[in-house]
Amino acid sequence: MLHDAPQVLIALEQSALAAAIRQSSWAYMTANVGHILALMVFVSSVVVMDARLLGAFAAAPPSRVVRPARRLAALGLLLMAATGFMLFTAEATHVAGNPVFQIKAALIVLGILNALLAGYLLREALEETQAFEPLPTAAKLSALLSLTIWFATAACGRLIAYF
Amino acid sequence: MHKTLALIGLGLAVPTAVLAHHGWGSYDAAHPITVAGPIETLKYENPHALITVKAADKVWTVTLAPTSRMQSRGAPPEFVAVGKMVSAYGYPSTVEKDEMRAERITVDGKTVELR
Repeated sequence: MLHDAPQVLIALEQSALAAAIRQSSWAYMTANVGHILALMVFVSSVVVMDARLLGAFAAAPPSRVVRPARRLAALGLLLMAATGFMLFTAEATHVAGNPVFQIKAALIVLGILNALLAGYLLREALEETQAFEPLPTAAKLSALLSLTIWFATAACGRLIAYF
Repeated sequence: MHKTLALIGLGLAVPTAVLAHHGWGSYDAAHPITVAGPIETLKYENPHALITVKAADKVWTVTLAPTSRMQSRGAPPEFVAVGKMVSAYGYPSTVEKDEMRAERITVDGKTVELR
């Protein structure tokens, strides 16, 4: 534990939950595996959703692809947050101070803001656009941004261990 | 769903404002060292078990392996109990003072590979 870390992180790392995760023979491992499985659910849905926004699967009306994919992505993100919290809490002071983790956390915020903004701005376009009709440029931009942010986030996640 | 996303975002954003420090991975493999002495403390925990070893020069923090790997390689908590004499071969941290990561440890004449 780092004693010069913020109090809230020290308290988190010293909590009974954090101790239980560290001392259990399976909890940390399970959270680690769960985080990767959740990532597969999340990123596969994101790729399908963004691919549609970029013009793939044009035979399907965009809303028929984007809506369900977005719900599944939200579920994946929720599972990632839950497992990620377990991994984080076990060594909160070290991880929070890790520069790559800080970049990752900022990217997650950006990714979610982008998703919320796209959901808000593109709502009408999604509803009105039919199969084979082009989507607004904003949809393509948001999809490119989304893919860039989330792939960078995943890369950062793996890189935390090396910095 | 927007609310859920916003809440997740908030939860994940909170830990960002922190001083710069490091995590795992920064060890000087080009300059291996051997730390030997009695084990002073043991944390048999994940993600990596930790011992402190009172060597001739100073007290070293020695990072071992995940507990499940320790168990399967034949290094249960009793193997690295406080008071035992250990010899740890590994690499000094380039970031944290007096910390090293053990490639292998020897206790009671038995060597366990940790990588």
